[in-house]
Amino acid sequence: MLKYLVIQLADDAASYCHYENVSKGVQFISVENLKTAIRFGMVENLNIQFIYPKRALPDGYAEIIETIDHTKIIPCAAPNSKSADIVVCNSIEEIEGYNFDKEQIVILRIYRSEVNELPRIYDLLKGKCARLNVVLRDVEKFSEGDFEDYKSLLAQLGNKVTTSLIEGGNAQLNLLTDRLVLNTMNNCNAGDEVVAIMPNGKFYPCAGFYYDNPNEDFGDLMRGVQIKKRQLFKLSYAPICRHCDAYHCRRCAWLNRKTTLEVNTPSHEQCVVAHLERNESGRILSSIREACEYEPETTIPEIDYLDPFEKRKEW
Amino acid sequence: MSFEVAKKAIDYILDNENDSNFATESVIWDFIGGEPFLEIDLIEQITNYIKSELYRRNHHWFNSYRLNFTTNGINYDNPKVQQYIKDNYTHIGITITIDGTKRKHDLNRVYKNSSRGSYDDVVKNIPLYLSQFPGASTKVTISSEDIPYIKESVLHLFSLGINEVNINCVFEDVWKDGDELLFENQLIELADEIIDNKLYEGNVCSFYNENIGKPLSTTTSDQNWCGAGMMLSIDAQGNFYPCTRFAGYSLRNKKPIIIGNIRDGINNNLLRPFLSLTRSSQSTDECINCDYAYGCAWCQGENYDAADTPTIYQRATAICKMHKARVRANNYYWNKLYRKLELEGAEKPAEKSFDINC
Repeated sequence: MLKYLVIQLADDAASYCHYENVSKGVQFISVENLKTAIRFGMVENLNIQFIYPKRALPDGYAEIIETIDHTKIIPCAAPNSKSADIVVCNSIEEIEGYNFDKEQIVILRIYRSEVNELPRIYDLLKGKCARLNVVLRDVEKFSEGDFEDYKSLLAQLGNKVTTSLIEGGNAQLNLLTDRLVLNTMNNCNAGDEVVAIMPNGKFYPCAGFYYDNPNEDFGDLMRGVQIKKRQLFKLSYAPICRHCDAYHCRRCAWLNRKTTLEVNTPSHEQCVVAHLERNESGRILSSIREACEYEPETTIPEIDYLDPFEKRKEW
Repeated sequence: MSFEVAKKAIDYILDNENDSNFATESVIWDFIGGEPFLEIDLIEQITNYIKSELYRRNHHWFNSYRLNFTTNGINYDNPKVQQYIKDNYTHIGITITIDGTKRKHDLNRVYKNSSRGSYDDVVKNIPLYLSQFPGASTKVTISSEDIPYIKESVLHLFSLGINEVNINCVFEDVWKDGDELLFENQLIELADEIIDNKLYEGNVCSFYNENIGKPLSTTTSDQNWCGAGMMLSIDAQGNFYPCTRFAGYSLRNKKPIIIGNIRDGINNNLLRPFLSLTRSSQSTDECINCDYAYGCAWCQGENYDAADTPTIYQRATAICKMHKARVRANNYYWNKLYRKLELEGAEKPAEKSFDINC
């Protein structure tokens, strides 16, 4: 069942996830399509998220957007970024030079070569924003050596998160704290619960699919949402993921298709990265429970694999 | 395929002896064409290289390999082919695809640029084939036009001395309205002939299998049917496929799925969807809950080719009505056979279970 509608306000709107915005277009969504998209979200009872470009919107758009309850996702370089619910930073430099509001959620998109900066960034943002979501822009390129480095990095971050939580802090870091409170999968769910409307007035599972091929749409504002093979976006039709307990994993359908050609099958690299995070969350959970009472009844058992695919013969 | 491409492919496979993709006790080197025996010199060169490399590397497949051929049988008595068979006899497996009676066989198997069928040129080699491979089987594929000839063809193959006939309907959407009834009637008439003439003693037709046509649980029987992804396929240019059905020349509607090549090796991420496939993850609720599910087969390549989107996770169901017709005829066969044996006071024949192979 659809729950979220992502409305991309312009072709050059910020990527806030794994895909890169490769569009050279500068088209804004038309006023007519914007109004129709909002109406669609209202009648379908969907949570609406607007994705902004760095540029200012044309006159009149802001008033239309404010006709509905929504979430604003805005790049930090945009003139109106202070009004964002979620601020997107595309580099360490961007995040260092920005004064966040304490209520804002920060998305930091970085490459694997930059992850060593994360402990410093975590300290820098502590108490200055509501949450830090880290998106690895090139997770599919992780090598075995990168996995080892990432594991060490997560251990450093884990120590900081553990200290913070024991001291009563609430600094959320998607890589490590989400799994602490999850007992079921909590993924992106693009194509199943989430659909994006792009400036051309057509639906896609997410913007990444639009940038890959705008002709592979899932309907439009006239015809409605027509998701082909929708079941393949569901967890129950994902043969690896449905056996997995890295519940915080994005389970990115776009990245799945890019790396394995199937929206329901993650790459080895995605699985290992998610499990390194999961395992570090397990270590944090044990440390917290040793130090104090921790209410969520989360369990993160020790496992002997980093890629559930290796266990497929036991399913 | 050039010998150089074949050599590089063999080197890649043997260089990666410890890779999980090749961590099998044994291997089957399967030569498929077109018609493999048109290239017997190349095949001999490739085979010699395989054998020498297995020996030189002290590879665990040494003396644990098969050389498989599916041939149209026309060149079977060629002296070079015969010498090759003699040289590799203990490792070789050959299936000659003779489809049945002359009119059935020649429906589909004709010489290039000619309407002349190949039946006469194949059938003359069957005695030699059976003398070298007693108990050999054949594989028959049924399409819509073939249905009227099923009964006579299976009986004909039995009469030639081919005691094991593996036979299945094509997975492609070729079936016309009413084909399922014609098919069911053919199988029932064939059942009558087999049972009334006691041909079940010493002959097997894979259409009849006591186990098929029952519901399947997704908790106990959720495995994939097809072996795509577990049989590396290599084309003449050295590209790797999960099965030859994913090569461009086998596909009608979709792009090829190339999972690597002899220079770069296998991209394991592209193999993951194939090795993760289950029955439930590619089937509709109708198929999952079908009362006739057991024995209903699929071809991953046809699934992909016929799918609404470029996915291997969508079962093509064109074969549905034919499978159900087979199940009905199969029920008839076993009910009739057991009643007959019961009345005769005979023992139930030892069951030989066959599944459809693509």
